[in-house]
Amino acid sequence: MLGDPRKAQEIFETTLREAALRAAHGELPNQRFWIFRDARWRCLEASETDLQAEPLQLEERDITSAASSQIAQLDSTQLAIWISAAPDPQRTALALFYLDEFDYREILELAELKLSELSRLLALGRRQFQAWLDAMLPEKTKV
Amino acid sequence: MKTPRLSRRKRALLNCAPIGKERIRDRSMRSAVFRASDSNEFANQQSFDRALHELVRIIPIPPATAEWFSTKDLFSPSKWTWKKTLRNPAVLAVGIALVVIAGVLVFQFVARLNDFPGSPTARKLLTIAGSTRSVVLDPVNAEAGTLSDLFFMKHGLEHYDVPPEFADFHTIGCRVFEDDQSQRVAQIWVSEKRMQFFLFPAERDVKSGAVLRFPGWRYIHQEGWIGAVTERGGVCFMAALRGREKDLAAYIPKAKQ
Repeated sequence: MLGDPRKAQEIFETTLREAALRAAHGELPNQRFWIFRDARWRCLEASETDLQAEPLQLEERDITSAASSQIAQLDSTQLAIWISAAPDPQRTALALFYLDEFDYREILELAELKLSELSRLLALGRRQFQAWLDAMLPEKTKV
Repeated sequence: MKTPRLSRRKRALLNCAPIGKERIRDRSMRSAVFRASDSNEFANQQSFDRALHELVRIIPIPPATAEWFSTKDLFSPSKWTWKKTLRNPAVLAVGIALVVIAGVLVFQFVARLNDFPGSPTARKLLTIAGSTRSVVLDPVNAEAGTLSDLFFMKHGLEHYDVPPEFADFHTIGCRVFEDDQSQRVAQIWVSEKRMQFFLFPAERDVKSGAVLRFPGWRYIHQEGWIGAVTERGGVCFMAALRGREKDLAAYIPKAKQ
C-alpha cells in the first residue's frame, strides 16, 4: 500500500496501538475487518502527504503466457512500488487481492467497492502491469 | 481456446477469481471458473496472478512486525478446569437437559419396577375411589367377607371374595359397575379408615387367555391414594385408602411381596 517499509511499520504499530486502546475501553467496533479498514485509511492518509505522481494514462497490454516468467525476474520491492503508485481504490484492490488472504466478497466489503468496480480495477491493473513488464523486460518477452 | 461467452456478472467474477481454486467459496464463482477453465485467457490470468502472489509472499516483513505474527503464543491459554467447563452456558444447558432426561427415565424405571399384571386397572380404580361418594353405593350392613355370596347370587360374579385379612371389616355400602373395558368391578366401602375394596378380573395373557398371576401383595400409588393388590382365583382384590403405604401396611400380612 505504501511501498515504504518504515511507514508501513509505523502504521502497523499505530493501528495496533489504537486497537489495544479501544479494547481497553471496551470500544471495539462490532464490524468485520474494521482493523484492516482502519489500516487502509491510515495508509491512504500517509500517502497523501507524499509526493504524488502525476496522473497519466498508462499503457495496457493483454496478459501473455510469458507473464509469469517475466514476473519471476522481478524484485518484490519493484512490485510493492508499482502497486503503491497506483491510484486508490485500485491500489487497495490490488494489494488486498494479491495478498490472497481475503476472498472477493471480503475485499468488496473491506474496500467498499462493487463487484463490477473491483473486477474493472483488477483487470485494468493486470493489463497495465503487463504493459509495464513488457516495457521493463522487452527482450524476455520476445524470444 | 477462447473464453466462452459469459454474462457480465460471470466475467466480473472471473476477473476476481481467487488465485487458488481451493479458495473458491461460493457457487457463482465456482460456476464462472468452471466455465472458463479451458480458456487460454483465463489460464494466463491465473498464472499471472499466481506469479504476482509469489512475489508478494517474498516481500520482506520487518522483524519488529514479524514478531507480532510469531507462531509462539504470546500468553499461555487459560487452563482447562472442570469448574470453567461447568460454568459454560452450553454445557450447563446440556447438563440440565441430561439430568431431566435421566430423572424421567429413573422415574419410569421405578414405576415399572412396581408394575404387576392388572396395575393399570388398579390405578384407574384408585382414581375412581378418590371420586366416589358413599351415596352412589347400595347401603349394606354386613361384614365384607359375606359379600361374596351377594356378588355371586345377584351379579353372577364368581370368586369375588374378600381376602380373610379384610373379611371382618364392617361394610357401609357396595356396588357392581363396568369399567371402561366392560369388566365388572365390585366396589365395597368399609367403615375402617374410610377404606374401599375393589374386586376386578385379573389381567390375562392376550394370546393364551391364561390369568397372569403374581404372588403376594403389591402396592400402587395414585393421586394421594394407596392400594394393596393381590390376586386369587383369577380375581384381583385391592384395598385402597387415602394416605401412605404405612397406613395400609398394618393390614397386610407380613409375607407380602
